Amino acid sequence: MAERLKPVDVVTVGVGMTGAIMGKELAAAGLKVVGIERGPMRDTVPDFQSPTIHDELRFAIRKALMQDNVKEAVTCRNSADQTALPMRRWAGYLPGTGLGGSLVHWNGQTYRFQPADFIYRTHLEQRYGKSFVDPELTIQDWGVTYDELETHYDRFEYLCGTSGKAGNIKGKIQPGGNPLEGFRSRDYPTQPMKEPYYGALFRKGAQSLGYHPFPQPASTLSQPYTNPEGLKLQQCVFCGYCERFACEHYAKASPQTIVLPVALKNPNYELRTNCQVLRVNLDSTGKKATGITYADAAGREYEQPAEMVLITAYALNNVRLLLNSGIGRTYDPRTGEGVVGRNYAYQTVSSVTVFYDEDVNINPFMASGASGTVIDDFSVDNFDHGPHKFIGGAYIGAIMTNGRPIEFHPTPPGTPAWGLGWKQAVARHYNHTVALTVHGSSHPARGNHLDLDPTYKDAWGLPLLRVTFEFPDNDIRMSSYVTDKAAEIGRAMGGKTVAAAPRKRPYTTTVYQTTHNTGGAIMGGDPKTSVVNRYLQCWDVPNVFVVGASAYPHNSSYNPTNTLGALTYWALDAIKNRYLKSPGPLVQA
Amino acid sequence: MTRINRANAAVAMGCLALLCLAGPAPVAAQDKQRPAEVDRGAVIAAQGAAGVPACAQCHAFSGGSDGSGAFPRIAGQSAYYLEKQMRDFASSVRANAIMTPIAKALPPNDTTDVAAFYAGNSGQFLPLAAADAALVEKGRQLARVGDAAKNIQACNNCHGPDGAGIPPAIPYLAGQYAQYIAFELQMWKRGHRKSSPDSMALVAKQLDDQQIAAVAAYYQQVRGAASAAASTR
Amino acid sequence: MSDLSRRKLMTTTGAFGAAMLPGSFAATPASAQHDHGTAVAQLAAKSVQPQPTSYLFLNQQEAAFIETAVARLIPADDKWPGAREAGVPNYIDKQLGGAWGAGERLYRSGPWQAGTPSQGYQLPFTPAELFRTAIAAINTELKDKTPFAKMTADEQDAYLHALEAGGKDLGGVPSNVFFATLWESTVEGFFSDPVYGGNRDMVAWRMIGFPGAYASYYELVDKHGGKFERAPTSLAEDVHGHVHVDAGIPARLP
Repeated sequence: MAERLKPVDVVTVGVGMTGAIMGKELAAAGLKVVGIERGPMRDTVPDFQSPTIHDELRFAIRKALMQDNVKEAVTCRNSADQTALPMRRWAGYLPGTGLGGSLVHWNGQTYRFQPADFIYRTHLEQRYGKSFVDPELTIQDWGVTYDELETHYDRFEYLCGTSGKAGNIKGKIQPGGNPLEGFRSRDYPTQPMKEPYYGALFRKGAQSLGYHPFPQPASTLSQPYTNPEGLKLQQCVFCGYCERFACEHYAKASPQTIVLPVALKNPNYELRTNCQVLRVNLDSTGKKATGITYADAAGREYEQPAEMVLITAYALNNVRLLLNSGIGRTYDPRTGEGVVGRNYAYQTVSSVTVFYDEDVNINPFMASGASGTVIDDFSVDNFDHGPHKFIGGAYIGAIMTNGRPIEFHPTPPGTPAWGLGWKQAVARHYNHTVALTVHGSSHPARGNHLDLDPTYKDAWGLPLLRVTFEFPDNDIRMSSYVTDKAAEIGRAMGGKTVAAAPRKRPYTTTVYQTTHNTGGAIMGGDPKTSVVNRYLQCWDVPNVFVVGASAYPHNSSYNPTNTLGALTYWALDAIKNRYLKSPGPLVQA
Repeated sequence: MTRINRANAAVAMGCLALLCLAGPAPVAAQDKQRPAEVDRGAVIAAQGAAGVPACAQCHAFSGGSDGSGAFPRIAGQSAYYLEKQMRDFASSVRANAIMTPIAKALPPNDTTDVAAFYAGNSGQFLPLAAADAALVEKGRQLARVGDAAKNIQACNNCHGPDGAGIPPAIPYLAGQYAQYIAFELQMWKRGHRKSSPDSMALVAKQLDDQQIAAVAAYYQQVRGAASAAASTR
Repeated sequence: MSDLSRRKLMTTTGAFGAAMLPGSFAATPASAQHDHGTAVAQLAAKSVQPQPTSYLFLNQQEAAFIETAVARLIPADDKWPGAREAGVPNYIDKQLGGAWGAGERLYRSGPWQAGTPSQGYQLPFTPAELFRTAIAAINTELKDKTPFAKMTADEQDAYLHALEAGGKDLGGVPSNVFFATLWESTVEGFFSDPVYGGNRDMVAWRMIGFPGAYASYYELVDKHGGKFERAPTSLAEDVHGHVHVDAGIPARLP
């Protein structure tokens, strides 16, 4: 039987970005906090050292820093008429594990969402009329506004030391930044990253067409920086081993470099690694969590009683834990009722490849995770959708992050798939090619949802999460339109050959796109259509907060991390200043 | 952050085409710079040029300098890096009473040739007093894992394994004189050396004097990499 | 601080003057005089003869198939060696005999169902089992015809294309699944760090101009379009070609 441990004030399920920030802050506020991390302890020294970390096969191909799906996978299907089958090897997305979670091996691309995103349904209906949005799409307002989140975005960016150039400070447009961004109260904490050749070529091409290129905001830092926690980060050296790798230079914002050392020094904070949380325990009313049950590395089960449970385990794991704990009503796509699992979304990415003559040396291996140049002219609702039959958009950029050859060996259309022609094309084009990324919105649809798989289980005998997802028509139309725009930029960049590859159906798990899984435990103003309120507090169980991109009612054109950082600080604010003084629902249903 | 002006960028682009240890440099398609002439560089190193004293007077013809540590070892150093230091001396990014006038007086072609000459040298290792073993061990730790408490990465992460250097831009430390390493770290610490400010100045500012002495002592006695500088592919 | 008085300069001049006669620059090693292109071509020629591999997993027939197949997938030409010369069969052998071959990071619970192409790999085989099963079926099929290694290059290509197209069952492994795995492994073996047994002498990296594991480009990233010709370096060696095994990194912070 599970051994019952001494009660604590707070337990966090997972010690990735959100768990680390929440744990540190609440421990600093005087609470006894336990962070439960299913993966191993790891830190810059000794685990992330050069050159060992610069091993493409081990980290990028075999995915050494990621979740081991021998223990825990997900099952996937495109629609309800299929049987979901396990993603037996990670391919389409790569969930992290271990101390620090996926922020140990992210690229550091740090965008804010648009103000329109947070009032998405209202905004679109006001601009285009009630019947404009495809009825299949279940978009809704978030319950929080950009203005409310702005100071929290700022706080997260200053925690990371994000490098960039503001385009809009308090409403005044700034040269050199993104003129289409939501307002910021001040500039970025560090200056923009140096611009590699691919970015400069894109900048010229985009400007020639009248667009507004700006430096990609980067939490791989352009210069040394001391963050508000007193932790020092170094400048990025453009080593080209960013995503899927950990940084040996203290130049990438990760929990280890930006916040964890402070938490670990605080006697109020205790970290337990290699511990798999099995469920959140509820009392007999079902409205209060009493704590969690977990299994340690040796399989021994423990019950950890706690006053508050913060579910900070990553979007997909958050939803699975709610389902396995019986918290909230499971969403049924046939009836549209229930909330846990609804509004799952992903990211709609596509690409354009620009091939140059052999005298143009791109040197793609000289890159950071976030040293690109981007335009926002086609993101979200930054352009008039009236003439088009879709909503949403995509940013377009030259955001190459590496030249690692197992993954990157571009060849023009018509090249044989293997053989001498393939090899010669690879040698000819490797160093003379720029890849453009089109990074697009993902809108929730009635049929796309998360629930528990009826058949497949994890190593502890618990059901795996089942993901039912296909790109909605809307998003395919959007991708086609914006990819065309990207191809125009490619031609304006002077490429000899420009190959466009818009997103097509069916959604396949076999090709990596992004690890931007959102939704399933969404925030909102109405418990009938959301799992958590605007402070990420669970409607049904008020001493549970679910802090992850699981909260997103839709996924915008941008990478989700910065918005999650902002929401984390926003929720923390409510917890520290209101909840702790008077525990209970922060919003009346 | 270092901003390279247009003129330097053009020169630097050409320099990028140089192998660290090669003789004549292969010319890039768009490179307008003439290839380096190693033999000519040897003559300049031996005899000086146009009112400039011979490099060999301080750095020795082999590039191993003397044992005092007053003059850095330059044998086998990346030609690109050597040329950049000369430009930095000429432009006051680095300031040194001896090198600044030399760098200003030496014409660019001569600098290129001399750099290529020294890049191809192995240079002898002079017998030096052994440093305190505990100090060297402390330096080895800094070289290999850095200082986690100060978020300082291992020197080797940028300077290559055992300080062998990552050509063309990052110099070797292996076998470099301790006195010179310590001196340069102090120059960064005090803000007098302005090259690589974001890479090196912050690191130097955080190292205490004992750490500086340790890392310098460690690298001075590293032999495996630099002694084989001559055996290139 | 350095003592750079004029006096010191003048006293050192005499000491080095004798040593610096032009004759001594013959000590500049001949190899330092090589231009990049010559060295590379010589290396390419040297590498064309495949070196013997000690196979730990593949038996003789399997090795014969793999050696021949990878030589067609990434062939040698007069400019650059191919997969066989680069040691890709050795890479595949070591991978199949290791943790990946045994199914690390592979969710291996049933029930087993063939899914849609979007659902990816759904077979029970570990990579080692997959290769073994498929190659055995191929060798059995060809036993009374021409063995794969004895076919002409064109016949080998045609055979591989047929595998790639699918429709053939190789002891339970669809031929297109086997082909895809073989191709992925070949690309990995060609382009991965030489510590894994392939990409011998980093020929693949030289071919494309990828500098390898030692990576710090802050000074160079904004020198747009420069031709970067540093010899590539592996995880296991320094820029001078010497192997460093770093046991010095502690398991715990001191």
